[in-house]
Amino acid sequence: MSQREHPPVLAEELGKRYSRGWALRDCTLEVPAGRIVALVGPNGAGKSTLMGMITGLLRPTTGRISVFGDEPSGGGMHRSVAFLTQAKPLYPQFTVTETLRYGRNANPGWDQAYAEELVEKAQVPFAARVGTLSGGQRTRVALALALGKRPRLLMLDEPLADLDPLARETVLRTLVRECRTQGITVLLSSHVLAELEDVCDHLVLLTEGRVRLAGDVSELLRAYPEHRTLSQLALAHMRMGVAA
Amino acid sequence: MTWIVWRQQRPVFITLVAGLVVSVAVILMWRAGMAGDLRAGNLEACVEKIFDGCGGKAADEFQDVWFDRLHAAQGTVLAAPALIGVFVGAPLFAREYEQGTHALAFTQSVSRTRWMAAKFAVAALPALVVVLVYQFVVHSWLDVAGDLGPLATGPFYFTTFDAQGVSPVAYTLFAYTLGMVAGALFKRTLVAMTLTLGLFIAARIALSGVREFMITPTRVLSDDLDGRSPVERGPLVVESGFLDARGAVVADPTPMMNCAGRNDAQGITDFEVCYRENGLAQRFTDVIPVEQATTLHLLEASVFAGFAVLFVLGTVWAVRRQV
Repeated sequence: MSQREHPPVLAEELGKRYSRGWALRDCTLEVPAGRIVALVGPNGAGKSTLMGMITGLLRPTTGRISVFGDEPSGGGMHRSVAFLTQAKPLYPQFTVTETLRYGRNANPGWDQAYAEELVEKAQVPFAARVGTLSGGQRTRVALALALGKRPRLLMLDEPLADLDPLARETVLRTLVRECRTQGITVLLSSHVLAELEDVCDHLVLLTEGRVRLAGDVSELLRAYPEHRTLSQLALAHMRMGVAA
Repeated sequence: MTWIVWRQQRPVFITLVAGLVVSVAVILMWRAGMAGDLRAGNLEACVEKIFDGCGGKAADEFQDVWFDRLHAAQGTVLAAPALIGVFVGAPLFAREYEQGTHALAFTQSVSRTRWMAAKFAVAALPALVVVLVYQFVVHSWLDVAGDLGPLATGPFYFTTFDAQGVSPVAYTLFAYTLGMVAGALFKRTLVAMTLTLGLFIAARIALSGVREFMITPTRVLSDDLDGRSPVERGPLVVESGFLDARGAVVADPTPMMNCAGRNDAQGITDFEVCYRENGLAQRFTDVIPVEQATTLHLLEASVFAGFAVLFVLGTVWAVRRQV
């Protein structure tokens, strides 16, 4: 089978149990290529756990997961995947230039010109140390590091959580523009449902460790005509999931 | 990858080199001063070999000034591996876990194993070179004092043995990899540092107690039952005692050494005759000769190196482990 035929993420009966209990159970889903997928759910629904298993940072307790046809392992992340978490870990003592050099050294498919362009557009000074940047600037540098490796799947775990409304909008707009023009599949988790409204065309909704709803947004809205928007639909199903 | 680790380790590297430069400068200064004292006291011949003319006032004054300093210098060579383990080895991975930057490293395209290998090598190499250079500089100072300094007690005296040959490098490798694995397992810098220091000291004490049994000693025999030990200062004495007439070791010679009531008319006891009558035939001393010091260094170093290999494997396992 050629690489093309493998979906970015395919999970079968996937489950993860921590010492405190199950974080994710019987999760069967496919992330289709080229889509911007919203991963939503209340706190503790298993969003970060699912992403952790896609990166290989976490090991599934049950079931199987494949990323572009490969099973994630502790060896290293799939080279077509980029990951950005809320914490946006970067070396605070590195300058922006050094951070990009880090990306170049650690990723064979690195696109230096593109990464520099992203930093320039964000008007972040190259000589500044990462530790001295504002939250918004840090996010832009982290985004440049993630996109500079030219991923085919970009995962973002609450990437906007610590940004002011203006920075949220700019970052999200940059993100959508870059990913749409390059056909990058995006898996985006966020608590702010309104933000995802015009951005996402695919929805995966988790509650209490289970997949409650998954599918194309327009198809879902057709199937549940009582909800007019993605946020209404998601909120209603979250309530149902928590009540159940 | 090399550049990444180099950039991260730069402050550590600068500290190491600065520390080395300062200590080497101090030692070279003292070394020159000490050589001057040797000339002034006309002691230069005593450095090669102590002879009767060496016991005078000049030698005493020289040793008052320099002996403890030389000993302390050996002590710093003993401490260097622990410092490397605590300040270079322990934070290597623990700091990444504490800062959360391991998640950054783990989500790049290069494998965790390559990341680990680069970190291991780039941090270890300068540390080992610094220890080696420092060891040689200290030793060159000790050589100037020769038999008037701590080297007079032979290569097996513990500060001399542990600060010489391959030993410092082997201890450093052990302490560094111990710190590394403790950091990778416990993910806390302070915990890793404390564990490294404690376990390193414990391991050093334990192994220095048993290393003399790693080599088969040479038995030196003497017919002089009552005299001093037939062995001069220098070789490492593992065991000593008496043999009976059949050449077997006498397990407990104390009752045979009871010579009460054996004094002659003048009231003098001839212990030699008394021991022989009691059944002691020969005195033996089991030693490790000075020439075998290098072999013992290598044997002990291989034990430390073996542990270091285990620690590296442990680190590989801990870092590649998925939670």
